Amino acid sequence: MSRKQLDRILLAVVALAAFGLPLVVTSPTYLQILILLFFYAYLTTAWNLVGGFAGVLPLGHSVFVGIGAYTSSILTLQYGVSPWIGMLVGGAIAAVIGVIIGLPTFRMRGAYFCLCTIAFAEGIRVMVENIDTLGPLKINGPRGLLVPLLKDPTFWDYQFMSKLPYYYIILVLLILVLAFTWFISRSKVGYYLAAGGEEPEAAAALGINVANYKLFAMALSCFLTALAGTFYAQLMLYFYPKGLMGLDLSFEIAFIALIGGRGTIAGPVIGALLLRPLNEFTRIYLSDMLPGLHLVIFGLILILVMIYLPKGLTAPLSALYDRLARKITVQGEAK
Amino acid sequence: MSNILEVTNLTKHFGGLTAVSSLDLHIKTGEILALIGPNGAGKSTVFNLVAGVFAPSEGVIKFAGQTIHGQKPWDLARLGLARTFQIVKPFASKTVLYNVMVGAFLRTNSTHKAREIAEDVLATLQLDHTKDMLAGNLTIADRKRLEIAKALATNPKLLLLDEVMAGLRPTEVDDMIGIIRGLRDRGVTVFVIEHIMRAVMALSDRVVVIQFGQKIAEGSPEAVTKDENVIKAYLGGEYDAA
Repeated sequence: MSRKQLDRILLAVVALAAFGLPLVVTSPTYLQILILLFFYAYLTTAWNLVGGFAGVLPLGHSVFVGIGAYTSSILTLQYGVSPWIGMLVGGAIAAVIGVIIGLPTFRMRGAYFCLCTIAFAEGIRVMVENIDTLGPLKINGPRGLLVPLLKDPTFWDYQFMSKLPYYYIILVLLILVLAFTWFISRSKVGYYLAAGGEEPEAAAALGINVANYKLFAMALSCFLTALAGTFYAQLMLYFYPKGLMGLDLSFEIAFIALIGGRGTIAGPVIGALLLRPLNEFTRIYLSDMLPGLHLVIFGLILILVMIYLPKGLTAPLSALYDRLARKITVQGEAK
Repeated sequence: MSNILEVTNLTKHFGGLTAVSSLDLHIKTGEILALIGPNGAGKSTVFNLVAGVFAPSEGVIKFAGQTIHGQKPWDLARLGLARTFQIVKPFASKTVLYNVMVGAFLRTNSTHKAREIAEDVLATLQLDHTKDMLAGNLTIADRKRLEIAKALATNPKLLLLDEVMAGLRPTEVDDMIGIIRGLRDRGVTVFVIEHIMRAVMALSDRVVVIQFGQKIAEGSPEAVTKDENVIKAYLGGEYDAA
């Protein structure tokens, strides 16, 4: 057995397990936890296009989730447009706003860039909270939007009576975004983003317009992030600015990426696998004692990971897999 | 033979400091030109002006007949002007092959083709044995070679080498001299800044000496090292040239 075959078998097993999981997990509560796990893995993978590959640390991505949710919901509520269409419109708007934010901020480095993305994101959230109607559009300020429950929803309505369709939609979205990231990381764009993120001057001398490539990555990342916003709106059927566009969500995305491994394909999934259940269970069992304790626990884990595994959990795990794979392939050849 | 680079009246002020002052310079296609001078003479500033890092305060820079001053480094790389950095800038967390492929992507969009170009360049620079190592783990001599490999992978017409010999052992210097001669044989015009005089003597067809941002001598390596102004610049005013 060659290494390539082994990789393929492993991927197939993981994918099959993910598709088959609802056969075992039938409780809607646990299904919901899995759905949110995939939702966060998806968001972090989309974030990773800028935050991982392009080597900057944007901390305001929840705004683009919000743009996705608001755009598709307003289009559905006021104009009867299917959320599937609204999702793409939201993605396009998010990409444009991402570029507008990126134009002045990508010139900055390190912490200054982080702070600017936080400022932009919070600014937009506060704006949304204080706007009741924007021209013909009902935004509803801090009260948020309620997507009415339909009696006999069809697929076109992006609304389902059971959790199962949501599970498969987010799973397919996650697989698509992972495949896309894999493809990007092996293409010219991926090489150019990594080079520009690590040594901008050297990259420029090799013919790379670093700022343009970062803007391109930002547009892609924001587009994909907004798609998940529509998904969230259709799953929860209610959202409000503070819950959806606040810094909590932005930080959690960054936490998952940093702990899982920035700039790796598997990092966001591994990070979400670890942190999402932890988040849910600390919230269920500990929130009576101390609300927000899960963020303290996140912080502690982040500190430990940064000290002992600065590249995240993916690096040691893939080294372990390499070693196992070598053993298996060598045994296979000996036979 | 035509001139691949022509610099006329080049001047650069940084605040009140004039780093380069009315400098004229040309490089013929296919030659190796060395730019030398004492520390702080303005050599690296000249490189940065030619490579588009700074815009000149005054003067004209022509590359292959085209006026290029004010253009950005990434546009110049596309035109065929590549450079290395005095303080090497590898993409340290990536493999050597990855580093060189970044350069190779300038002339192709195919990952497969970029890998071929990169492997060819690595073989030319005798770096193929390191191709799967992380660039951050290379020895200083190999890092200097990697700098050249990245630039060479962009398939340049003119290559600016900023002190690629600094910090090398004598045998490594000899290897590097061989490599740079090899580049010229491949049709690349080479413009070097160098402090190691043995390398300058062995390599260059012509030498330009600058001090305080001004040209004080120009000519063959032998003629320049006998020039009174040059000896004064390097060894101080009281030294007797005879």
